[in-house]
Amino acid sequence: MFMLGCDKMTYKINMPEFEGPLDLLLHLIKQSDINIFDISIGKITKQYLDYIKKMEELNLNIASEYLVMAAELIEMKSITLLPNQVNNDNDEYEEDPREQLINRLLEYQYYKDISNVFKNYESERNTMFTKQPSDLEEYVKEDSENNNQIDLNELLEAFSKFLERKELDKPLNTKITTKEFSVAVRSNEIKEIIKNKKKVEFTELFDMYTKDYVVVTFLSILELAKKQDLKIVQDNNFYKIYLVAKGSE
Amino acid sequence: MNLVGVLEGILFLVGDEGLTLEKVKEILDIDDEQLNNILNKLREEYGKENHGISIEIFGDNLKLVTKKQYKEYYEKLVEYEKNGTLSQASLETLAIIAYNEPVTRNFVEEIRGVDSSHIIRKLLFRDLIKEIGRSDLPGRPILYGTTTLFLDCLGLSSIDQLPKIEKNQTEDREVDLYESKYKE
Repeated sequence: MFMLGCDKMTYKINMPEFEGPLDLLLHLIKQSDINIFDISIGKITKQYLDYIKKMEELNLNIASEYLVMAAELIEMKSITLLPNQVNNDNDEYEEDPREQLINRLLEYQYYKDISNVFKNYESERNTMFTKQPSDLEEYVKEDSENNNQIDLNELLEAFSKFLERKELDKPLNTKITTKEFSVAVRSNEIKEIIKNKKKVEFTELFDMYTKDYVVVTFLSILELAKKQDLKIVQDNNFYKIYLVAKGSE
Repeated sequence: MNLVGVLEGILFLVGDEGLTLEKVKEILDIDDEQLNNILNKLREEYGKENHGISIEIFGDNLKLVTKKQYKEYYEKLVEYEKNGTLSQASLETLAIIAYNEPVTRNFVEEIRGVDSSHIIRKLLFRDLIKEIGRSDLPGRPILYGTTTLFLDCLGLSSIDQLPKIEKNQTEDREVDLYESKYKE
């Protein structure tokens, strides 16, 4: 499995590829020449962990699935070490972890065997050759009816029909615009409103609930307040806010 | 007119793509029974040793292919991957799906013990498996099944032809199975 070359500096690694932790376990079992049914959790756990350690030493990336299996094996082993708790009152049947593992391995082995069969089938199938579909393009009949018999009028007619159809193909004219708000314009509007009403409730100005509109309106109010074109009045905390025209109070 | 000859010509033209039985019936304007007769005659003819091609059905797809028994001569003409192109992971996954379809990805992963989303995507891409619905399990996971191309890849005419394999029986299974294909 691992062959370290004589030269300490160079590794010669010859490692079989595994499809996953179950594959590795099966390999280890086969290597130690035991029947799946006779595996001992302790032994197999040790072998498995040794293998993982070796992989680590070789700086191989270990897929997380291998570590999960390592943890599961350790858990199984520790369970077997614990004294058997006698659950007389509780008939809860708990599957033997060892048996569970064996079943999983057998299940996996089963499909691994099938995959070998599939492989054979596939190479067998590959010895039956076939050919690309024939390209029949060159035999396609040219549409030759009415050749040489078209007069100018027919052509004109056909062309105008084509133009008509083409017209339908055109996209309909539509204008897509986004309404833009500017602080300057909105400021003037607000100024006008306040001039007329003298006193306006703050929320009244937000008569449209689009983001742009709200932001622009708010900015306009601040701008106007800054320029002292209006005053912002609130009598008390959480009272209504009023905007008052400058000089009219 | 002899429809046997007609079919032979058609199959020659379609080559690798093959032609579904349905389509054959449509083109020749015949029913199942007539189709069977024609196929049998064609098979009988190609069965003779002085023919280099044979007629095969993969899934429901009819194809003309060269005969296996003369393969060593044909192989001289082509360079090809003798061992097939499916990876071990693909084969495993296909095996699990083919024997249990329809299955969810989770089912495959539980048996393989590794994440299989990548391999399933690959198989979907190669058209060896397809989505065939959704399971009623929580999350309504996608159910996968095999395709006609999968059968073609293994040289099977239907999913029922998959070898019956007994579980939990050890030793020497593979060899037996491999041979059993020829006994049929």
